[in-house]
Amino acid sequence: MTADKAAVTGIGYSSVHRAKGVDGRGLAVDAARAAIADAGLQVSDVDGVFEYAGNEQSYDIAKMLGIENLVVFGDFGPWGPSAMSSVVGAHMAVQSGACEVALVVRSVTREWGQQSAEKMLPPPSGMWQWDLPYGIAGGMIPVMAMKMRRRFATLGGSEQDYGHIAVNARRWASLNERAVLRDLITMDDYLNSRMISDPVHLFDCDYPVTGACAVVITNARRAVDTPRPPVWIDAIAMGTGWKPDWTYTDDFLFGGTRACAETMWKRSSVTASDVDVAQLYDGFTHITVSWIEAMGFCGIGEFGDWVDAGSAIGPGGALPLNTQGGQLAEGRLHGLSFLAEGVAQLRGDCGARQVPEARVAVVANAHGPHCASMVLTA
Amino acid sequence: MELNVKPVPIPDPVSAYYWENAKNGRLTVQGFEGLDIRQHPPGPTPEIPGGGPAGAVPVAVEVSGRGTLFSFTVLRQPFHPDFLDAIPLLIGLTELDDAPGVRIMTNIVEADPDELRIGMPMEVVFEPRGDMAIPQFRPVRTHR
Repeated sequence: MTADKAAVTGIGYSSVHRAKGVDGRGLAVDAARAAIADAGLQVSDVDGVFEYAGNEQSYDIAKMLGIENLVVFGDFGPWGPSAMSSVVGAHMAVQSGACEVALVVRSVTREWGQQSAEKMLPPPSGMWQWDLPYGIAGGMIPVMAMKMRRRFATLGGSEQDYGHIAVNARRWASLNERAVLRDLITMDDYLNSRMISDPVHLFDCDYPVTGACAVVITNARRAVDTPRPPVWIDAIAMGTGWKPDWTYTDDFLFGGTRACAETMWKRSSVTASDVDVAQLYDGFTHITVSWIEAMGFCGIGEFGDWVDAGSAIGPGGALPLNTQGGQLAEGRLHGLSFLAEGVAQLRGDCGARQVPEARVAVVANAHGPHCASMVLTA
Repeated sequence: MELNVKPVPIPDPVSAYYWENAKNGRLTVQGFEGLDIRQHPPGPTPEIPGGGPAGAVPVAVEVSGRGTLFSFTVLRQPFHPDFLDAIPLLIGLTELDDAPGVRIMTNIVEADPDELRIGMPMEVVFEPRGDMAIPQFRPVRTHR
């Protein structure tokens, strides 16, 4: 039953590459035009724009595309679950009737994605007074490292568990022409990759790129009138967990992922056993492992056995994972490509990396204090 | 710009007690009058599921400075330009013995990375920094 559901009817990408000094606004326009065309629509059909953390505001995007008026729009800052922040905004707008056709855009430049190399640090005041006097900078890398080590101590497992996520990303990326890192790596390559903050290796971290991704979300009435089969948003949820914070949260290992997944499944018409393909955030490999367990694909602490030396998440596996190569290998498009790839899989558009007869996908973004996830159905 | 001059924390009205007490060699966490709660970092309200009472008055609660190592990392890439000479840098979270669930993030000092174990006993020391002092944690030595 889909009469009350919204759907994703279009996806689009700009070029994705490693160039620096690129004006991200042009990329946003390229991805948006591609998504609108993919949905079989004209620019004039779009009446809502939702954007995440770009250098361009949603009304800038409207202006550049030539949309003469927006009836609703939203700009979401970086203190949210990556681009899925704006997907949630678009979904609420469509479902409430605030707009009919919502465009979601995330345009990211390599410089933006490379926060860890930031040399202009804020003063050690406010939230930074607890970190910077101790040399804690570089995004959340030291805290992510402490989550990984705490997991080893309390749930067991080893670095190889995380390595399977990194190796898997390249396996799938080798089948994706858009991916920036397409060379296969071995577990030894992972274990020998540069140690950033023990036990975070270089290959635990996603890969900054310059590029944009966009999707079109519309209501059930409009969705059935599109050239491509709509992909339904069966369920969508956010979660924070108690005491939301990256460092001082109540659930240090999982952040809000468990609460988010619980809400998502309550709202869904399907269960974890129905899922054919999973697109789970991999800004750091710990995030992906958390979502797999939080969504119940295996028990808490059981990932290492469940992943079966990587076969469970690779081509032909029980849960094909991050089939575009994730942000570890396709590049850090900052959340939206997980949704776009889930849509492409359920449409059967993925060519060499297509999961046969994929009908149900899960998508997740972020970790820690701000999580979001969704169930897609064909 | 001069490098390797490590940042001195800038207190605010909510956090002032923490840094002022640290300057005097005392580790304190935030409590509230009439409430059995300890929290860190401090905030304007007691963080209690379902919500705390309105108008709760914050108080600084001194703790022993003893705790256990909750987790740690050895940072090998100097993300912070003032810490170029401090790599590899030990960073850890210590959970306080007399404020269960309260964790403080500091450097781990006077320690070899290979001796660190989650759950090992830790104690606070105070490192002079500018005109202030910042809490740090080190492993408890039984033969000190």
